[in-house]
Parts: sequence; C-alpha cells; structure tokens
Amino acid sequence: MAILAPIAGLLQLSFIPGFEQGEFRVWESAYIRRVFVFSLWQALLSTLLSIAPALLVARAFAYHPVFPLRSLLLKLFGLPLVVPAVVVVMAIVSVYGSDGWIPQGRSLYGLKGILLAHVFFNMPLAVRLLLPLWQAIPRQHWQLGEQLGFTDWHRWRYLEWPMLREGLPGILLLVFMLCLTSFAVVLTLGGGPRSTTLEVAIYQSLRFDFDPAQAIVLALLQLALCTLVALIALRFQKLPQVEITLSPASGATASSHNLFASVVILAAAVFVGMPLLAMFLDALSGPLVRVLGNIHLWKSAANTLMIGLCASAIAVVAGWLLLRTSSELANRGQTQKAKFIELSGSIIYVFPPLVIGTGIFVLLVGKVDGFDCVYAVVILVNALMGLPFVIRGLGPAMRQSNMRYQRLCQSLALVGWHRFRLVDWPLLRRPVGLSAALVAALAMGDLGVVALFGTPQTATLPLVIYQQLGAYLIPQAAVTAAVLLLLCLLVFWLLEHKLGGKPNARD
Amino acid sequence: MSLILRLLVTSLLGLFLVFAAQAGKPALVVYTYDSFTSEWGPGPQVKAAFENKCGCTLELVGLADGVSILNRLKLEGARSKADMVLGIDTSLTAEARATGLFEKHGLALHNSVLPNPWVDDSFLPYDFGYFAFVYDKTSLSNPPTSLRALVENPDGPNILIQDPRTSTPGLGLLLWIKMVYGDQADQAWAQLSERVVTVSKGWSEAYGLFLKGEAPMVLSYTTSPAYHLIAEQDERFAAARFTEGHYQQIEVAGLLESSQQKELAREFLRFMLSEEFQSIIPTTNWMYPAALATAKLPKDFDQLIDPSPALLFDDELVARHRKTWVNEWLEVMSR
Repeated sequence: MAILAPIAGLLQLSFIPGFEQGEFRVWESAYIRRVFVFSLWQALLSTLLSIAPALLVARAFAYHPVFPLRSLLLKLFGLPLVVPAVVVVMAIVSVYGSDGWIPQGRSLYGLKGILLAHVFFNMPLAVRLLLPLWQAIPRQHWQLGEQLGFTDWHRWRYLEWPMLREGLPGILLLVFMLCLTSFAVVLTLGGGPRSTTLEVAIYQSLRFDFDPAQAIVLALLQLALCTLVALIALRFQKLPQVEITLSPASGATASSHNLFASVVILAAAVFVGMPLLAMFLDALSGPLVRVLGNIHLWKSAANTLMIGLCASAIAVVAGWLLLRTSSELANRGQTQKAKFIELSGSIIYVFPPLVIGTGIFVLLVGKVDGFDCVYAVVILVNALMGLPFVIRGLGPAMRQSNMRYQRLCQSLALVGWHRFRLVDWPLLRRPVGLSAALVAALAMGDLGVVALFGTPQTATLPLVIYQQLGAYLIPQAAVTAAVLLLLCLLVFWLLEHKLGGKPNARD
Repeated sequence: MSLILRLLVTSLLGLFLVFAAQAGKPALVVYTYDSFTSEWGPGPQVKAAFENKCGCTLELVGLADGVSILNRLKLEGARSKADMVLGIDTSLTAEARATGLFEKHGLALHNSVLPNPWVDDSFLPYDFGYFAFVYDKTSLSNPPTSLRALVENPDGPNILIQDPRTSTPGLGLLLWIKMVYGDQADQAWAQLSERVVTVSKGWSEAYGLFLKGEAPMVLSYTTSPAYHLIAEQDERFAAARFTEGHYQQIEVAGLLESSQQKELAREFLRFMLSEEFQSIIPTTNWMYPAALATAKLPKDFDQLIDPSPALLFDDELVARHRKTWVNEWLEVMSR
C-alpha cells in the first residue's frame, strides 16, 4: 500500500498552488467549450487511426516471427515516442510539407497534420504494446486450432480476441491520453487556435496568466474526460477466466498470410521510417564534425542517459509495487479498490508535467535548496509520467503470474524476495525490459520539466536541441536530434535485450 | 544485467556529485532564459568577463523564457535564491514591478542608444530589437511595404506566426496590429488569418518551418538576417520594412529586494551597460545592444533595414489589456 501515498499525495499536491480561489467560470467560456470538443474529437480520431492499423501490424508481426529485420523494425517502432515534438514536426514537414516528399500543401496544417503526427507517434507504440498480447497466446492453442481446421475468422474469434480483450482497453486508454495531452504538435501542425486542446489551455493558464486555480480546474476536466474513457474502456475489458498454465509461444505460423502481412508490415515501416529517415538525412547534411566534436554535447548526452535510466528504474519499481498492491487487494476480493489503484497509476499522465512539476516545486520551495535538486525532481516527475507505460506493460504479466502461482506460493509459503526471484522475475523479465525501455526513452525525450526548473551547467539533449533552434543553429539541431535518437536506440537495445533477456530464451 | 547495474550506480553517483559541487567565493545568482546561458548565447562570455573582474562566481540559471522567470519568482517570492533577473522584456515589466519583489536600481543610464528616453527606475535595458517579417529574397521579389499592405491584400504572401499566449514575438505582432489598427484590430486579424499557414508555440518552430519552405514569410526580428549574413555568409534573407514602423522589444534586467548581494548585483548592472558586455550581444543574442554606439556594431548590421519609427505601448497599458486583447485574438483566430 505504501506506493499509494506518493500518488495520492501528488494528486493533492497539484492542488496546492490552487488555494481556494473559488468561482470558476471556465465552462461558461465559448472558447473553452470549443476546446473541449476539439480535444475529445482529435484524441478519439487519433486513437482509432493509431490502434486500427497497429492491430493489423502487430498481428502481422506475430504471424511472422522470422520476418527479415524484424527486431530492428521493432526497435525503430520505439523511437517516435522519444523524439522531441519540435523535431517530429520538422520531420513530418520534411515528408509532407510543401517542399516535402509527399507534398500536402497548406491542408497539412489542421486536423490532417495533427492526425499524421499522432499516428506517427502512437501507432508504433501500440504495436510494441500489442505484440506481447499475441505472444502470450500459448503454442498449444495454435496447434489445437490447426488440428480443428480453424479458419482465419475462427482463429481471431477464439484465440486472439479473448487475449486482446484483456490488454486492448488499457492500450486504447494510454494512446487516448497521449493524444489528449499532446501539446507542441497540436499547436504547430494544427494551423492555429482553431485546433487548440485542453492541454494548451492549461499551459496558458499556468504560464501566461499564472492562474494555478484555473489550470487545476482544466486539468481536472481533462482527468474527468480520461476517467470517462477509462470506464468505457474497462467495460469492454474481460480478464481471462481460466488459468493459463501452458507455455506461451511467440508466433503462429500461417503461410497463407504471408503476402498480406508483408504488405502491412512494409507499409507501416515506410510510414514510420520516412520521417525518421528525413531526420537522419537532415543530420547527415548538417555540420557533423562540429557538433559531434563538442564536449558539451556528450556531457548533455550523459545527463540525458542518467535521467532516463533513473526515471525508468523508479517507474518500474513503483509500477511493480502498485500492481502488487492491486493484485493483493484483488486476491482478498476487494476488486473495486484494486481497479481504482491501477487506474490511478495509469491515468497520472493527464496531469501535465507542468502542473505536477509546479506542485512539487511549491512543496519544495524553502524546504530544500531550489535548484540543487533539479535532477532529482526531473527524474521523479518523469518516473511518474512513465507509470502508465509500466502498468500497461507489466499488468497482464503480473495478472498471469498471480493467477498461475498465487495459490502455489501460498501453499509453499513462498514470499518476498524468494517469490520475486523464483516466480515473478522469470515471467516479468521481458515486460519489465520493454516498460523500462519505454519509460527511459520517454524521460530522455522530456523537455517540459527540465525547462521549468532551470538548467544547471549541463543540459539534456532535448534542451540542447531547443537551444540550438533558438540560436538559429537549425542544421546543428538536426545532428543533436540524431544523436538523441541513436542514444535512445542504444537504451532500447540495452534494456530490452540485457534486462529483458533474449526473446524466446525460455522456450 | 551487470552492465545496467553499473550504469545505474554510476549515474546515481554522478547525481550525488552534482549536488555536492558548490562552495567558495560569493556567488551572484541571476535568473535568465536558457538561450542566454546556452553555449551559443552571450552567457559563457559574459560569465568569464564578469568573473574576471568581480572575484565572485556568476551563476546564470537558464529558465525557458521571460515568462518562466517571472513565474518562478512568483512561486518563490522573497525566498528566492536569485539576486537578480536578466531577460524579461517590456511586455512583462509592469507585471514584474507589481509583484513588489524588485528594488530600484538607482543607476543612471548615460549611454543609451534606445530610440526613446529610458525612464524605468526598476529595470535597466541591455538590448532591444524590432519585430519584422523575414523573407527569402530569391523566392519573394516584392514583399509588402507596410503592415496594412500585408494585412489587406488578399493575394499577399502566406505567413508563419507565433502564438501570443506562448511566445514573445507572437505577443509583439498582436500589439503591433493593435497599435496600427486600434479598435479594428479584430477585423485586421480576420483578414490576415486567411493567409496564416500556422501559429506555432514558439519562435523556433515557426522559423524552422520557414527555412523548410513552408511559407514565404515568417514573423521574426529585423536583426534575423544579420545571423545569416555573419554566421553563414548567406545574403538571401531580409526583413520587410513596413512604413508604419516596427514594434519594439526591449530586454531588461532588475535587482531583487530579497538579495543579500545587492552591491555585487549593482556592479553587474554597471558591467551590463559597459562596452565589454554590450559588444558581446550583437552576434550572440542577435539583438541591438542598448548602450553601444552604432558605429561599434558589426559591419554587416549596416545592411539591416531601418525600423523607425519604433512602436511601443506603455508597459502598464499592456499589463492592463493583455488578457482582453489576447482573448479578442483567440475569438477571431479560432473561428
């Protein structure tokens, strides 16, 4: 239960700058109503457009465990998440802008631009999160299906869908939240205030008007919206009723799908790859030597790496504890409470980092030395923001472990470290690796919190990118962005393979 | 696995060292924006030059921008560690003064080259600039010659601008149009909005999109072409001179009442107005220094347009009306 405290405390914390100013007329403003509707509309559309192709792509990947370059492609799919928004905007413009490869002209700026960017961000993420669901389908099930002469539809209906029902709602919610709270992308590619979201309004009220009370009200509105979506999503969630005691195998093999699946994977790879390629091409035509020869760049890179790894470690531990608490409660029959705890962890993302950061800051002012702990605060806030990813990544595996071994562990009186080492870790290793990688990448790409607290002597890479852009050094910024991408690729490889273990190691 | 452990331990150790390293000489803490402290900004040179003189440590804390500096002060109040701030501009000074956190600087500004006399006794200016639409001469041969021409010609060039809620140039354009159009500003915006390709969060996004060719004109500064001339020897870019004049931005520094280092802070303010500091500004901040004779500017600054007359609202007036004006803008632009 200990883990609940910081989270509940944090939610309250965010209220502190609000005081009791009372009297909010937020809803009366036509502008806010329009913003509310637009936020909801674009987030729903973006979510659907990200998830639907992601299902196809994840399925294609699941059916092709030996697709050429599969592992590299999947790593590439982890990247869009980390790229600072401004770099994504530039990359999207390189591809779809008026001088781009597939020019869209002015129509890019508006809903189209927002959707393009959001699908670019979230479709690959959804693929990464969906794929383990397919991989969790036991090999024996596939074999059984084959013996029974299952058609494609049967396989979907009886093997895949039941598995998806557990994880899909959570992934939908996560993507929805990411789209709802996306900021710079919406502002720049949206073409103007017509496409403003609640997140932008929160920023405005906290930064420009310095009206924390209004910021909190808007953040709560956003929270309400997400909770609503969460509740709807949870209604469709159905946890597997049976204990799964069979060994999961990665992959069915159905040769009839080859062509279609290949086309799907290639299309997704091209869609995700083009903007990434554009980024690297920009970098290659930039002043490589001058930027890479700069010692400050590498110091910032080290900083970025440190923040990423620490945040990821904290988020994984916190997420694990949270899920333990939740499953402990579920075992005792307190399902409602259990669900609530899990929800609180997975929904934290709707509080913009600026709100959480300001909340923490107000608490810290006067108590500890303001900027000596910049890194600690940055790490903490990023760890919290990463929590939903951990919960999505670990949740299903934790539940399985719980369902399979809870009674066994009880009868063997296996608790604490021994239980963790012998029972949980082997099952959780891979999802832990993936979640840790996602959180690290997310924290490494973070800009908001660092910029809020002020920069010590050495900055982080996203900040360096912004500084370079602000100093007209646009080609240099492209090189730095490429360094950030490569660093994230490295972290992904490190955490997924070293921490998560080689794929199929257990089979 | 052990590699990761080692990495983790090293990074935690690094974290500890960052906390630990701080001791010695008197330190002057200055809140500023991070493009000032960045490697390419004036920060590193200013720090070296001042520390050479003062026998102190100059600690420049870079926040996101002027608005963040002010918000930070509001959060910290009198407990702030900062002794002074450098980097808020004339659209924020009234609000900053109203916090009651600033002390009068008590210094005279003899060598100002600002177009209008400086009367503020809380803040001292260090540089200034003018907003302007920058274009590429090779792709736009006849740019509009006045703000009215830009706004009222339905076949005029498309433009990229910034959001007045999140960026200084964005707010600058809002005030510029207000000054030229007065009560008809909303109609002007309605006309102009047809040709606004997008409204970005900050200057960087809009300027980046401009360089990628997304629109022939971008809202920036009259001094932007100087960067391309001096740093890149590229003569393609120019700012369009508008006959109504250009809206001005003046960046200032101020001394905090809660500071324990007021003498040192005043010494820094004097240093800020000296030739040594002032001559760092043009090619690092790409603005006009506030107290450096025009003759001492880099040669290529000659090629920049003459932005006169300088347009500037009284800062108290801006503080009173900003919210209403921004909402008016929002109403038009979100239709």
